[in-house]
Amino acid sequence: MRLIALCYRKIIDVNASRPWEKLVFEDSYREFALQAQYFNQERKYRTFGELLHFAPGAEQLHFLVSGAVRGYVQQLNNVVPDVVNNIGRLFLKFDKFQFEIINSDLADRTKHQVAISFYTEPLAWHDTIGEYLLVAPPQAESGEIPTQLFRLQPYLTIHSLQLAG
Amino acid sequence: MERKHFLKSLLMGAAAAPALLTACSKEDSVTPSTATTGGTTTTTGGTTSSSCTVAPTETEGPFPTHTPSSYVRSNITDGRTGYAMTAKITITNTNNSCAALAGLLVDIWHCDAEGNYSEYGGTAMQSTSYTNVHFLRGRQTTDSNGQVTFTSIFPGWYSGRATHIHVHVYTASGTSLKVTQIAFPEGTGTALAAVNGYAKTLSGYTYNKSDNVFSDDSAGVQLATVTGSTTAGFALSISLGVPA
Repeated sequence: MRLIALCYRKIIDVNASRPWEKLVFEDSYREFALQAQYFNQERKYRTFGELLHFAPGAEQLHFLVSGAVRGYVQQLNNVVPDVVNNIGRLFLKFDKFQFEIINSDLADRTKHQVAISFYTEPLAWHDTIGEYLLVAPPQAESGEIPTQLFRLQPYLTIHSLQLAG
Repeated sequence: MERKHFLKSLLMGAAAAPALLTACSKEDSVTPSTATTGGTTTTTGGTTSSSCTVAPTETEGPFPTHTPSSYVRSNITDGRTGYAMTAKITITNTNNSCAALAGLLVDIWHCDAEGNYSEYGGTAMQSTSYTNVHFLRGRQTTDSNGQVTFTSIFPGWYSGRATHIHVHVYTASGTSLKVTQIAFPEGTGTALAAVNGYAKTLSGYTYNKSDNVFSDDSAGVQLATVTGSTTAGFALSISLGVPA
């Protein structure tokens, strides 16, 4: 049996339409605008890309800005957003996440773009049916096992694999 | 389960309920409208999912609520061990006879007793159950006296630098007014001597006069007043002027 852990990378940009996404967009941009100034005291740079390239230590901004989104990630109650099984229900649980700034611009908030990668707990991958993966909790005993059927989709990947006995 | 056996049982199920399967195959939201995946997606950077995948069909919610940045708190200790220390910082206006400035944002951050900052190893995954990721970092808004107070621990030190606290002052709207650092008094009877650099002692310590940030501060503008003891805890206070 194979155990797989999934990663869903959720991109949030100016097109964010749902309340949770909008809050993450607004608050991460505000935090970026605050914290980026530490690495830009001569106000020479405008974009995150420039800061990363020219300003020593600016890579810390991923971590520093994550403080603004942590509270929102906790509000998800460990349920991976957006990714549903084949009957349309959210079903993936995560316990780890990673926040990153993709792009941003101190003078143009529409350029702000961040990602949150959600890392799931391991799932037992029992079978593949067409384009669908059949997975179940790894600790399931013998007998009837509750399963989930879902398909891989953009921004969802198998992040790690364990071969179990 | 063996794949062959699984498919066989699936087919047997299909034979038993052909009407059901036929009905399902007409359901566009379940069955892909084209044979390929990936090419038919309308995703705009992951915020919408593939048109080939079932759309969410769940009750709306939970409803997100506005959550302040995790830095907005007075106690920034986050479980770090060390001698307790409160830091009271007063911000005054150098453009207006040093009048107190209310409503400014003040960020502080400093290292722990061992000399480590919370951002070390910063881009790694964070656990949702682990809340003290941003330890020893805080943000407060100055009150009508221009003051903010943080509860923390006495900072440790690391090679090449005197003990210090970083301060970043912003306007209420977030424009940077001042980036500076707070220095600690040195010598017999000082808090620095009492703490004695924690576990690593003060062997190899960089004193203010040799520090690349504080060595030019002969007037002591960045030097805090620190009172207290290792048993009762320490109280740091400083007034910082900003041009506002």
